[in-house]
Amino acid sequence: MPFVKDIENYKSLAIVGLEKNTGKTECLNYVLSQLKNGTKKIALTSIGVDGESVDQVTHKHKPEIEIYEGMLFVTPELLYKKRKLVAEVLEISTQTTALGRLITARAQTSGKVILSGPTTTKSLKELIVKMQDYGADLTIIDGALSRKSSGSPTVTEAMILTTGATVSGNIPQLVFKTEYVFNLINIEKVEEVLVDKLMEIESGVWAINPFGEVIDLKINSVLNSEKIKENLFNFGTRFYVGGAITDSFIEFLKNQKLGTEIEIIVRDFTKIFVSPEMYYSFLKRGGKVSVLQKTKLIAICINPTSPEGYNLNSDELKEALELKLLLPVYDVKKL
Amino acid sequence: MLLKNALTKVPTLQFMIEDLDLKSSVGKRFLLDFPMLQTANAIEIELNLVEKVLESLVLKSTFYTKLQTKLSQLRDINGSIKNIGKNLVLDDIELFEIKHFAIIVQDIFNLQKEYQLQLIELPSLQEVIEILDPHQTNIPSFYIYDVYSDELAFIRKKIKTCKNTQYQIEEECLKELDSLFAQAEVLEVGVRSLLCEKLRISHKNLEIALNNLAHIDVVVAKANQAQKMNLCKPTFSDSSTKYISMFNPQIKQTLHLQQKKFQPVNIKLDKSVCFITGANMAGKTVVLKTVALCQYLYQFGFYIPAEIAEIAIVDKIMFLFEDEQSEGEGLSSFASEMLKVNVMVEEALKGTNVLILIDELARTTNPIEGKAIVNAVANIFFENNTRSLITTHYSGLSSHCRKLRVKGLDQAISLETFNNYNINNFIDYSIIDDGIGDTPHEALHICTILGINQEIISKAQNHLNN
Repeated sequence: MPFVKDIENYKSLAIVGLEKNTGKTECLNYVLSQLKNGTKKIALTSIGVDGESVDQVTHKHKPEIEIYEGMLFVTPELLYKKRKLVAEVLEISTQTTALGRLITARAQTSGKVILSGPTTTKSLKELIVKMQDYGADLTIIDGALSRKSSGSPTVTEAMILTTGATVSGNIPQLVFKTEYVFNLINIEKVEEVLVDKLMEIESGVWAINPFGEVIDLKINSVLNSEKIKENLFNFGTRFYVGGAITDSFIEFLKNQKLGTEIEIIVRDFTKIFVSPEMYYSFLKRGGKVSVLQKTKLIAICINPTSPEGYNLNSDELKEALELKLLLPVYDVKKL
Repeated sequence: MLLKNALTKVPTLQFMIEDLDLKSSVGKRFLLDFPMLQTANAIEIELNLVEKVLESLVLKSTFYTKLQTKLSQLRDINGSIKNIGKNLVLDDIELFEIKHFAIIVQDIFNLQKEYQLQLIELPSLQEVIEILDPHQTNIPSFYIYDVYSDELAFIRKKIKTCKNTQYQIEEECLKELDSLFAQAEVLEVGVRSLLCEKLRISHKNLEIALNNLAHIDVVVAKANQAQKMNLCKPTFSDSSTKYISMFNPQIKQTLHLQQKKFQPVNIKLDKSVCFITGANMAGKTVVLKTVALCQYLYQFGFYIPAEIAEIAIVDKIMFLFEDEQSEGEGLSSFASEMLKVNVMVEEALKGTNVLILIDELARTTNPIEGKAIVNAVANIFFENNTRSLITTHYSGLSSHCRKLRVKGLDQAISLETFNNYNINNFIDYSIIDDGIGDTPHEALHICTILGINQEIISKAQNHLNN
């Protein structure tokens, strides 16, 4: 399989769904089934959702992943107990998630488990390093694009995006929405010096003056007061936003007289909750967006059917996306 | 009284506990649940342990590095151990914890042997390891190994074969897989309950090992702190409590950061009442708080911030510090103070072996009645041989009480030399016996140094002259 060969070049990979029911689990199961006979040692975890409750897991369907003998996996106690395979416990974390402590285990037989994992970007990063200590060549993260999770899948070197009929029932619309996320993933990274300075800042709005100094603008969320507007541009037109950016934020900046030169820096593309229209119009007026953390998108997987019953033509969809994004696109059910 | 209850009462005690370099959460729990010791013997045993560590800390530093690395891997598995005792069947995660723990205990057991340094005796958990590590890998990982049950091994093999052929006859195979999984699960439960039955024999030993490791963690941390803060081993006294060069480690550290020195003090407390007078800013309150701290430290088995400490054991420490607030209760500061003093007096009348420390007794009422109250309380403490220390600004105190005075400012030095930044350098904090008990009149002097509005000072001076 071409893209599975490609995956083996990286130490970490995230598989991320554009929306629910885009076939992320099928994609992950496919990737694992292809990797099982390889020589690489695989580790697997997922991004936990903040405040994920027992209810959400037991009453809503959370998909099981087929894991193969010898693979490492990390999941919380509560889900570990539901495993359908023989596994050897290697370590128990000291930190606790809503679903219990995280168990690191090695599969002794193949079988199914439900995965969850660390909720923060920092602990995800640490986990990847720990998996390498256990001898993993490739750590795969079952990712999510969700406001509910503070853990970002961009900590990995590479990424596979899944998209499909659930996103839209017509192909041009689906291509447009997928292309938007594709563009966000490919936003350029700021200079390394600035990355080091900003990485630890997780909230607030900050200005970066022409000397590269970072100044707290003491703005917590929405820009509503006149006073803030007056002082906003005191230090130049480069801004770092520690949290998420939204339409109203872009709208505000776009309407300023200096709108043409504004650069917004965010942690990574998952922090951009801006409609495509707003985003593109900001760029058109000369605005710029950059990130601290970037991952490489290596392939797109598609699910041409949606739970509502849409059924798109798999080949047509594949062709349309490939033409637009110049990336390999796969329907895993047809491989 | 447990250590965790004493913590909030004396800020410096909290400072010292937070400063302790404990490696494990069990150590922390053990420490917070440590009881205030009431016999010289119990205190001596604990202090001797700390001493034993201190004596070997430098000489056998590799031992301590290794020991502390192991201790940092300790997890609080109290719950799992209790479950064994309660005849419950543990799951894989709990069994993993037990195995992981037993391996650490065994490592430390061997470490103590290798370095011929037994701090606290540990039970051998070799049996536990043998049960949970059938392949003798000594690696802390766990699952229900095939060797535990031939039948289980056979089913697992069948599952594997079935999985491999899954793609040919999917439907049938899935059904069989499900039934095989169910069979395996039943067998695993059987193995687990058998393992737990075997482990039950070692239940007591597991408990002791966890407790003793926690204790070792605490003792090593205490010794490291004693070395770092330059603390001394206190001795038991059956009469007076005596400190030579006593210091407050928290204030000492703050001053050190400002490149200033803490001036240690000597103080002796009999089974009677004792006044401390002295100017403002002379450190009376600090003395009081440090005495409270040292009493707690001693009875919780710590070394003492002093050069020499001889300490009498008390049943209870009662204190009343100036900065205590009780606005929440809706009482005036005088009312709430008197109610607290009342509790102390009642203990004194009962003849309880207490240490009472009161900062500026009756300071919030008029000086005439205030002085009368101070004398009355002091007399009760005197008559009942209550070990007590009272700071005050009042002159003319009851004649038969012992009176100490903080020396305070050197009057000979001219005012221009000070400002409110360096004033500390010119205060002599040493405590002297003061026969007359006439408090020094330095308040205006200090006001001048602090740069208080000259009008206040001159007008006050006029009042005094009239």
